[in-house]
Amino acid sequence: MIQKEVTLLNRLGLHIRPAAQLTKIASKYQADVYLLKDGMRVNGKSIMGVMMLAAARGSTLVLEAIGDDEQQLIDELIKLFENKFYED
Amino acid sequence: MSADKREQILRGIPASPGIAIGIVHRMVYDEPEVLPRKLAPSEIPQELGRFDRSIEETRHAIERSRDRALDVAGVAVGKIFDAHLLILADEVFLDQVRGRITREQFDAEYIIFDSFAQMIEVISRSQGEVFRERATDLRDVRTRLLRFLRGDGDIIPDHPTHQVILVAEDLSPTQALNLDRELVHGIATDVGGLTSHTAILARSMDIPTIVGIGDVSGKVQDGDSIIINGNSGKVILHPTPDSQVEYEEKRERYRGFQRLLEDIKFQPAVTLDGREIKLWGNIELPREAESVHAHGGTGVGLFRSEFLFLTRETTPTEDEQFEVYDKAAEIMAPHPVVIRTFDLGGDKYHAGINIRDEKNPFLGYRAIRVSLSRRDLFKVQLRAILRASARGNVRVMFPFVSGFEELRESLAVLQEAKQELNQRKLAHDPNMLVGIMVEIPSAAIIADRLAEECDFFSIGTNDLVQYTVATDRANEQVAAYYRSYHPGVLRLIEMTVKAGAKHGVHVGICGELGGSPAAAPLLVGLGLEELSMTASMIPEIKKIIRSMTYEECKRIARKALKMDTSQEVQSFLRGELKKRFADLPIWFS
Repeated sequence: MIQKEVTLLNRLGLHIRPAAQLTKIASKYQADVYLLKDGMRVNGKSIMGVMMLAAARGSTLVLEAIGDDEQQLIDELIKLFENKFYED
Repeated sequence: MSADKREQILRGIPASPGIAIGIVHRMVYDEPEVLPRKLAPSEIPQELGRFDRSIEETRHAIERSRDRALDVAGVAVGKIFDAHLLILADEVFLDQVRGRITREQFDAEYIIFDSFAQMIEVISRSQGEVFRERATDLRDVRTRLLRFLRGDGDIIPDHPTHQVILVAEDLSPTQALNLDRELVHGIATDVGGLTSHTAILARSMDIPTIVGIGDVSGKVQDGDSIIINGNSGKVILHPTPDSQVEYEEKRERYRGFQRLLEDIKFQPAVTLDGREIKLWGNIELPREAESVHAHGGTGVGLFRSEFLFLTRETTPTEDEQFEVYDKAAEIMAPHPVVIRTFDLGGDKYHAGINIRDEKNPFLGYRAIRVSLSRRDLFKVQLRAILRASARGNVRVMFPFVSGFEELRESLAVLQEAKQELNQRKLAHDPNMLVGIMVEIPSAAIIADRLAEECDFFSIGTNDLVQYTVATDRANEQVAAYYRSYHPGVLRLIEMTVKAGAKHGVHVGICGELGGSPAAAPLLVGLGLEELSMTASMIPEIKKIIRSMTYEECKRIARKALKMDTSQEVQSFLRGELKKRFADLPIWFS
């Protein structure tokens, strides 16, 4: 299992389109992935779950991946966060 | 509800023009109490099948809504329904629902209602407008899902059956999309802004609308009298007889003005002394060309091709692009369609094009700079545009050109694209007109030179202003410095027009200024030959042009060019317009 902390830098936060990008990437991998924030833990492959975090700009989340390809999965997600979801 | 029916005035954001006087119909979300029904274990497989079928049916219904939304309101509203489809594609969530039906042995309606309720509850409590709006979307999807589950189909309940003014906290996207223009004369909502789905749809359907009123839905009941002025944003509850009369007169004047526009809509935009100005439309979807026609426009001055990238994850193929360009050209024929090559970067990103995080994206890797570094994509687009040119009146335009380097490089790529088509024996117009956007000051300054190597200029005023006065147009902190009528901007426009005239290069404008009534006499006076704008503005601009002489416009332009500040120019232009078209407040809002 890997855990990694990330900060949301895109202007509108983890709203529906960024959430869609995230879940789409997560679903490509065999590993399970979860997002943790304020005591909530949601499945990274579920757009409804990810939206429920209502994570606004500046908030910090923990990404957690478990499975064979966990490292690649985490790397790709971190790239997405660093690139502000190619949004703004 | 109190018996107090004294006149009360509220204010909101005028989202769609016009005046409506009528009675209130309150619209609420159709959210019935769903009571749990216990299932026998033997019923569960059947219940799961019912659930899956309702998902499938709802998905098709939402797809239809999306297509209709694209048709009537454009990409922004279409995206809302795309988001709804994503919710229905969430296998993790759907599996949870299936799991609950099996475990808890309750009927699908109850489990769906309850699962969504938990989401809605959390999201509505969250900070930030963008998340709270999502609660509206979740309710919308849930309502449709429940209706299909009950076999009620996709009829939207709670629609008025008589002529009314709708009052609601907010309309769900589906409710807004299904409004009946014949019955709904006006809309007033508590929440929303100019870009909310309600606002966009109301404008596309021509329904006077005010949004963001704060609390109007809590203050009225069905049957109350109400007046809304979509030109000013004023809402009058329980109007007195005097107000009633006053607004009936206002409505008549406004309607008179609308009829006037209707009468001249298909007349040429020609000044009293005979100078004809081309009025064209800006579009981002091919079918919007129909709206340009319907508003009396005689061409598309700006077809924003980015939408091909913004609505999807992969890059569009040559054939896909060709179809889109060809469609626009076919609808607009025989009039021209100017296709701008994709303007990505700045604030528009695409997953297939890697744009690094930049300190100053608007001074960075965008538009033609992206195209020239991604020649693979650029050439695909140019070939598609060229192929469309064989069949319709198509022109190509390069955005964000700062000087000869980009222009010549782009022309070279265009040449390669032509040769490739020749090799493939695919037809194209070898003389397709090529133009550039003039939106960087350096391009305006050397316009006399650039004119030697292209066929037309289109001045992009939004960016030209931003770069000339060095003010980020999205930064509210410096909004006061974003001055559209800055003398520096006016001189750059003048220089560009003169350079074009000298070399026989057609000069148009496709920024917001092009659709501003106050700016119209100035732009005509500066010598612009074409103004391209949001289609709905064409009739008003046409009316102004047809009411003035070119000589007058030239005098106005000369005077404006001598002024010191943007503010002075603006009030001067408004004053000039007011003199000629008194009593039409919408033009000055």
